[in-house]
Amino acid sequence: MSLLHVSLIAYSFRWSVIRESFGELEHGVKITLELSCFSLALSVSLGLVVALCRLAPLAPVRLVAYVYIQIFRAVSLYIYVLWIYFGLAGATGINLSPLTAGVIALTVLNSAYMAEIYRSALGAVDPGQHEAATSLGLGRIRCFATVILPQAIRIAVPSLVNQFIDIVKDSSIVAIIGTTDLMGATNQLVGYYRAPFELYTLVAFFYLTIVLMISALATLLERRLRRHLT
Amino acid sequence: MLAYTFHWTAVLDNRHAILLGAWLDVWVTVISFVLACVLGMAIALLRVSGLRVLSWPAFAYVQLVRGVPLLVFLYWVYFGVAVVVHVAFTGVQAAIIALALTGSAYTAEIFRAALGGVDPGQAEAATALGFPRRSTFRFVVFPQAIRIALPPLGNTFVGLLKGSTLISAIGVADMVFVAQQINLSYFTPFEPFTAVGAILVVLVAVFSLLVTGVERALRLP
Repeated sequence: MSLLHVSLIAYSFRWSVIRESFGELEHGVKITLELSCFSLALSVSLGLVVALCRLAPLAPVRLVAYVYIQIFRAVSLYIYVLWIYFGLAGATGINLSPLTAGVIALTVLNSAYMAEIYRSALGAVDPGQHEAATSLGLGRIRCFATVILPQAIRIAVPSLVNQFIDIVKDSSIVAIIGTTDLMGATNQLVGYYRAPFELYTLVAFFYLTIVLMISALATLLERRLRRHLT
Repeated sequence: MLAYTFHWTAVLDNRHAILLGAWLDVWVTVISFVLACVLGMAIALLRVSGLRVLSWPAFAYVQLVRGVPLLVFLYWVYFGVAVVVHVAFTGVQAAIIALALTGSAYTAEIFRAALGGVDPGQAEAATALGFPRRSTFRFVVFPQAIRIALPPLGNTFVGLLKGSTLISAIGVADMVFVAQQINLSYFTPFEPFTAVGAILVVLVAVFSLLVTGVERALRLP
């Protein structure tokens, strides 16, 4: 115990490093947000396609979508990033930049989660809505696009936001293949300043701030989506 | 397109090392999960204690830990905390600490929801029957809460298992680390990473079946 006490005193914190690092980290935040937002937009779209395949009338299409969802929900992002960046590049000769590999990995993995979110949201829409739309003479596609989907998306928004938060947090993993996102920039700064405790604590608060801001924005969005329902 | 010739022998020759790495991932996950459950239960109890001095820090802890990526935690413990307290954690120790901390925020929320999900009438009935507070919790509320908590706890375990593949980033020789070594010595990136991906898919599938089995065994008639 006394040993611990002494060594705590022996370590002098260098919080000034934080001030000097802000510029680099600001750039890192930009890359992290770019990476996350791109992946969000793509996986939201791809996820809808997968969900529709999962609910398709053709059994083989359903099966393929099912297998897709099960596999990509089970693989970890880290293995998948390595697989794309080194494995696929080695096998096909296509060289992707770390950032592109990161976007692809985040998109494909999260589309599987998004598909499940859509599926349960579509199932949660009152069947009476579909019946009413059909009896009003709406075709299948118009019924889906103008009646069912908007309601399903409103149901899905809270889960989609949670998924977005996971994307932001998971995007830190892409730093391992050499992007200069928030995590990558921090790793470089740690190498330069040799202040791991200060810098990793700082980056933790950066991520926390981004996550809390997304949560706050999501609350506003949910309220807005519900404005004509009360 | 494929000028690449596959060398699955690189994987097959090293199958023992890969499986040993996979085993390391599994037991690191199991230990972290047990610790995360104990810690999470304590935090959940603080949150439902009804005392603001206890419930507020517990709430803050959950929000804080859930907002920070696992990789940041790993580096923070392994490089950051180690320097400050002058304890050279081994990679496995740091991995278990980081995984347990991250997991505890999720298990705390699960236990809180499960404790709230037990019909209050159960506790009232136990009190009416003369059960003291502690026995009410232990014999009436807790067993019912566990049944509610089991499916999401299974998800958390899978999350930690996937998270445990990250520990090669701090130099732990898990299966991903072995795959990287194979890539470096045979120049065959595709095969080892495909293999470890497949192993993870199998592990997750086996574990999901296990959870379904336990759920069925615990289901009330």
